Amino acid sequence: MGFIWFYIRKIFTLFKCEVLVLPSRVALLVFVVALLLIPAFTQDPYLLWVLILTAIFSIFAASWDLLSGFTGQVNFGHALFFGVAAYTSGLINVYAKVPNFLSIPLAAIAGVLTGLIVGIPCLRLRGTYLALTTLAFPIILTGLIFALPEVTGGELGISGLDRLSTSRVYDYYITVVLMLVLTTIMWKITDSKTGILLHAIREDELAVRAGGINTTRYKLLAFCLSGFFAGIAGGLYAHIMRTVGPSTLEVALSFQVIIWSVFGGIVSIYGPVAGVFILFPLAEFLRILPKVRMLVFAVLVLLTLIYMPEGLIPWIRNKIEKECPRCKVRSIATRKTCRICAASLD
Amino acid sequence: MAESLLEIVGLGKRFGGLHVTNNVSFELNQHEIIGLIGPNGAGKTTLLRLIMGILKPSSGSIRFKGKNINGLKTWDIVNLGIACTFQNMRPFRRLPIIANVMVSCMCPRAMKRGEWVKRIEAKAMDALEFAGISDMALEKASTLSQGDLKRLEIARAIGTEPELLLLDEPFGGLSPLETDLMAKSIKRLHKGGRFGRLHSEGPSMIIVEHKLQQLMKIADRIVALSFGTLIADGKPDEVVRNPQVIEAYFGEGGI
Repeated sequence: MGFIWFYIRKIFTLFKCEVLVLPSRVALLVFVVALLLIPAFTQDPYLLWVLILTAIFSIFAASWDLLSGFTGQVNFGHALFFGVAAYTSGLINVYAKVPNFLSIPLAAIAGVLTGLIVGIPCLRLRGTYLALTTLAFPIILTGLIFALPEVTGGELGISGLDRLSTSRVYDYYITVVLMLVLTTIMWKITDSKTGILLHAIREDELAVRAGGINTTRYKLLAFCLSGFFAGIAGGLYAHIMRTVGPSTLEVALSFQVIIWSVFGGIVSIYGPVAGVFILFPLAEFLRILPKVRMLVFAVLVLLTLIYMPEGLIPWIRNKIEKECPRCKVRSIATRKTCRICAASLD
Repeated sequence: MAESLLEIVGLGKRFGGLHVTNNVSFELNQHEIIGLIGPNGAGKTTLLRLIMGILKPSSGSIRFKGKNINGLKTWDIVNLGIACTFQNMRPFRRLPIIANVMVSCMCPRAMKRGEWVKRIEAKAMDALEFAGISDMALEKASTLSQGDLKRLEIARAIGTEPELLLLDEPFGGLSPLETDLMAKSIKRLHKGGRFGRLHSEGPSMIIVEHKLQQLMKIADRIVALSFGTLIADGKPDEVVRNPQVIEAYFGEGGI
């Protein structure tokens, strides 16, 4: 009995000293708990539907941030990974009757392979040239899809995929839990030593090479990892919608993911997730005002980018928390001294 | 006679019709410091870039420890034991200073060496300690002054534990006091030994520099270039009296 009590106290102490001390961590905790408890309060199918899609696009946006935000390989055709995975999932589920718990991982593998295929020719490119080259890939694939309508369904796409699960609440929990797990994995990757190398490649690739690091390998790794996570999002999307069409490869979707990410704050992983959780439901709920919907959306994004160029979440975080000039640990902005080293925060 | 560490034979680099280095040949022995001098545009930095594999030579060969390193990728060359610093410092500005050094401590060569290899942070900290900027390890690299950026470049280079270090204007933009400190650091590094968890066998060096007075004090040999051609190679006091070197710096007629 004693050791159980010991662990309970340990967890409570950790909670008190590590979570409650920072508003951002409390906000994250509230967000996660609220997400997990929503079906207990409402099972409104439309609300759950919006949140399911939000969770899927969150994974997708975070995967863009991993590649373009952290590694600096600006991808204007990120929908390619999403679309390839969605089509892979759709094709093998409909034609080969592969169940969804296998088709989604296979879709993620397709995403990885797509990452390799796109990554290898893009290795020598950077900046605008890279962005424009990546933009071409989903357009080429859309052309192929229209050219092979007997396999891909052409403009109508493939329909009749298996449902993700038997009920909408299960769908919700599967996507939300996957979103939380995958974004945590992405965040851990960016926080690791590999993350430092990816970030360094974004800053100055030549200097990383001069440090003896094979940048080609790490850039390809970033493409593959990003393809993997976007692939899971694409696979989930296919099974949630139960139909896959050329819209999954649209240029608009590629740009949408950039808007979400830049709005939330790139190079953070949590920024793009927050961006999707704000903008996607907003765009959905603004459907009640069809005439001004896009105008409101555009003005909101524009104002955020003008006044918060780093993105919404880093801006809010800098307002509510301060970094200690000495030990670099963050404390709540109302404190006068650092919570770790007691240095003055003014 | 000691086996030469680096052997450059007939090295040439052409950009279109412009010969930036032209048939340059010299050798660098183990534990030797060569000062590479020449007026602006003589091809000194290009030569270092050719050795590092950042540029591909148009002709000639570069041999390191008897192995031809022509055409190898930069990271392969670094992992063979050559490291360089840049004339225009290239820090990862948005990363903390310690992370800047951790990048080079994570190269395969550095990971294989030393018994504390798993503790990359500790190794990076020791490189910063050697360079004298460990107190600012957690600051962003963008906050560093010119002199400290030079030190960061050195810390990053020694993080790979090189046998040959190419320093491109290590005293450039430094005050006289900072220059003296930097010269002392370079001498200490050349002597070798253990700097915490970081091991230095005392790398050979090629130093490109315009501050000749300082360079003379630390270099064993001076190689002078002018318009991409090697014009002198010898002891420091011989080279500075060489009429061709004087002419390259001050024009026909000398001073």
